[in-house]
Amino acid sequence: MAKRRKRGRKKTRGKTSRRHFPWIKLTLALLLVLAGYVVWLDVQVTSQFAGKRWSLPARVYARPLELYAGQTISAEQFVTELKALHYRPVKSVQQAGQYSRNRNTFHVVTRPFSFWDGESPSKNLRVTFSGASIAMLANRDSGRAESLARLDPVLVGSFYPAHNEDRVLLQLDKVPVSLTDALIAIEDRGFYRHQGIAPLAIVRALWVNLRARGVVQGGSTLTQQLVKNFFLSSERSLVRKLNEAIMSILLELHYEKDEILEAYLNEVYLGQDGQRSVHGFGLASYFYFERPLAELRVDQYALLVGLVKGPSYYNPWKQPERARARRNLVLDVMRDMSLISAEEATSAKARQLGVGSAGRKAINTFPAFLDLVRRQLQRDYRDDDITSEGLSIFTTLDPQVQWVLERVMTARLDGLDGTPGGERGKLEAAAVITAAGNGEVLALAGGRDPKFAGFNRALDAVRQVGSLVKPAVYLTALEQPDRYTLATLLDDSPLTYTARNGDVWEPGNYDKLNHGEVPLYQALAHSYNISTARLGLALGVGKVVQTLKRLGVEQHLNPYPSLMLGAVEMSPLQVARMYQTFASGGFATPLRSITAVLAADKTPLQRYPLDVAAAVQPGPNYLITTAMQHVVREGTGQAIYHVLPAEQAVAGKTGTTDDLRDSWFAGFTGDRLGVIWIGRDDNQPTGLTGSSGALRIWRDVFAATGGTDLQPPGDDIEYHWIDPVSGLLADESCADAVQLPFIRGSAPIEAAACMRGPRPLDWFEELFN
Amino acid sequence: MKSYITMRPGIPVMATLVVLVLNGCAAPTYYPPRPGTQPPPVIEPGGGVPVEERQPLPPLTRPSVPVPVPQQPVQRPQPAAVVALLDTAEQQANDGDLEAAAASLERAIRIDPRNAVLWYHLATVRLSQGNPAAAEQMAVKSNSLATGNTAQQARNWDLIARARRSRDDETGAQEAERRARALR
Repeated sequence: MAKRRKRGRKKTRGKTSRRHFPWIKLTLALLLVLAGYVVWLDVQVTSQFAGKRWSLPARVYARPLELYAGQTISAEQFVTELKALHYRPVKSVQQAGQYSRNRNTFHVVTRPFSFWDGESPSKNLRVTFSGASIAMLANRDSGRAESLARLDPVLVGSFYPAHNEDRVLLQLDKVPVSLTDALIAIEDRGFYRHQGIAPLAIVRALWVNLRARGVVQGGSTLTQQLVKNFFLSSERSLVRKLNEAIMSILLELHYEKDEILEAYLNEVYLGQDGQRSVHGFGLASYFYFERPLAELRVDQYALLVGLVKGPSYYNPWKQPERARARRNLVLDVMRDMSLISAEEATSAKARQLGVGSAGRKAINTFPAFLDLVRRQLQRDYRDDDITSEGLSIFTTLDPQVQWVLERVMTARLDGLDGTPGGERGKLEAAAVITAAGNGEVLALAGGRDPKFAGFNRALDAVRQVGSLVKPAVYLTALEQPDRYTLATLLDDSPLTYTARNGDVWEPGNYDKLNHGEVPLYQALAHSYNISTARLGLALGVGKVVQTLKRLGVEQHLNPYPSLMLGAVEMSPLQVARMYQTFASGGFATPLRSITAVLAADKTPLQRYPLDVAAAVQPGPNYLITTAMQHVVREGTGQAIYHVLPAEQAVAGKTGTTDDLRDSWFAGFTGDRLGVIWIGRDDNQPTGLTGSSGALRIWRDVFAATGGTDLQPPGDDIEYHWIDPVSGLLADESCADAVQLPFIRGSAPIEAAACMRGPRPLDWFEELFN
Repeated sequence: MKSYITMRPGIPVMATLVVLVLNGCAAPTYYPPRPGTQPPPVIEPGGGVPVEERQPLPPLTRPSVPVPVPQQPVQRPQPAAVVALLDTAEQQANDGDLEAAAASLERAIRIDPRNAVLWYHLATVRLSQGNPAAAEQMAVKSNSLATGNTAQQARNWDLIARARRSRDDETGAQEAERRARALR
């Protein structure tokens, strides 16, 4: 009580002596605080607006489809590619992103695109197909033959930042004027005149809305809307409104109208795609219409502008009538403001909404391949850079091959469901397809469900490879042409090997038989374990390990004898790396999934160049490739030719592990290598051999994608007729003679008994005569 | 018919039986063998196979097609696309944009991966880029594709000599030069 009285007294005294002073002081203090606050807001506005404004996800592109006379692609495959790029089929092409077809002849106007090596301009092309290839390519503008052109690449995925905002950045000069006109007409007619806020606009909005008998305009200026989206939370309060007004004025003080408009066009929220929020007109165009903004019609612009008011309320998929009414309202306003003619408005209003297929689009189309891309990127970039710097990542993915692989894999595995080991849904598979010539990864599957972004078996399922390792043993032998050739007889009789530590090893053949003496190429073709083991032991396990390292196997290998029969664990990708060396003529080639990376402004950041290193001499590599051709012609891989045409040369090897737990096939043609694995995640038996499982997926994929001839022999190779029973020189007249390649000078000199002309007495023939 | 298999039927028949047993486990359904075809054809397991594959397949003991002996390909003309890219690469290299030249050559190799000339030019660009080790490997690759083309092989050895000299490997360079001379 006393205290209060005291204070009261003091107050009274103050009031009497200096009556106005505290108010002035208070007002000054308030003004100071306010000024400070405005300065602080100003710093906020300028620093955020001028600095980096958006985190842009990285875009991942497939390889661009090259168009040239002679390119192997059918008219149907070409259409698939155009569809994936959302090119529009029309009667007569007029603009980029359109094509017309008359049987085997296409007219296409390609889209301009910024590649690593510069901008590819839009081209007006005539493409004529004949069979499964392009017969002619001509430029319709010049009327002359075009030697080479490329389509824009299919976007196969994006790496999003943690907050899941997505946008495609636009520059104002690339935005169609009719879109910005419509936007300004609907959202903020005074945009080019006001100072950030427009008190009159509220009145005007009221008037417009009354006239249209609905809410057409909001009272906020575009600047205010931008500020709201850009700097402020979505809470509705007076303080926030005040902040919005101050910041809008500040923004207008510092920046040009066009800069604000451009920011608005990129910032505005226009839709939701699952977790991903769709920001800006650039992305909205792809999200709703599956094509760039420049290719849209006026009714489509009107829909996008209409969506600003409420993307979920006017969702064209869920609320098509609402969206249509809103779009038509925008078109009416555009007509009233003479932005379009009455006829244009009428025909535009009559159109369907024209949106693409509904459903989530942010799902990366090829998750397993994208996983590989991301891992290769992480060697050179921080995670933040990958998800927010707007990188363009050009990859080696060939969608044509990937689509085939996915279709085949799903069909094959569904077909195996219900077989022993194929307990419904338990069988899994993985696949890697690469380009034989340069090691580019063309397609990748990480499991039977290609859309599932989970355990990536192509990279992470490290399994026993079984007989896939054997070519390394035989290559080690063939690299010593004075000791071993394809015709050298190997001993396949029972083998007992006692290691130095006393361990006894008794490998057996898969068919539980012994085959006596067999020529080297047949021992590999039939994948005999005993002759392989004996050969490997004669060569030395250490030597075989060295060969595997040279072929590109990077992990630690224990030099145990069982290694030579496949007691080594690899992922399908690691197997592909090893077989890539065979497929590329003996040159170890790192497998690449990325060719180049561009920064957001399309300047080149990094290129991933082609790299090769001689690992195996061409001669021995040719011999081992020939032996692997025998695998598919007469050995464990014969089933290949139940489907593939006899003239298609293939070299490959089957692999089967104990109790049929893993089914492998690795093989190549002249232009592509494929490694397929089938197994179970719980490592239980699958009931499949390499031939009855993985080979069939490989076969179906290669039957659908075709292949070129294998690399022809070099100067150091000569062919001779050989009698496979004796491994000796024969000639064409010998009943079962085969022609085999030899490193020059290494062929046997001794003639087989079957040779015509002067030769030793043939007791066998005599017996029958 | 030149077939090892028909000569010694024991092994393939046993192999066939093993395969048949395995496939039998996998798919209990057998298709009736075609008349006169022995042994019964191998049937693939599963119902997801395309219809045309549900035909009885030829038996494993059919005479295999021998692995063909490849003929040396006749010198084929370079596709116009490759010629255009070679021109572009040359222009880019002359302009000093070696990275772009390399990219153009890699693009050409993607189209025609067994073209020895392309690998040679890529080797040249790598050497100009100051990467003699890669240059040598590319030239070796070109050599492996230049079968019968001694002029190209000689050019490759000359390039290898330059690459080795730039790495102060004088002995290696002289050896490469000797090999180039031997080819002329």
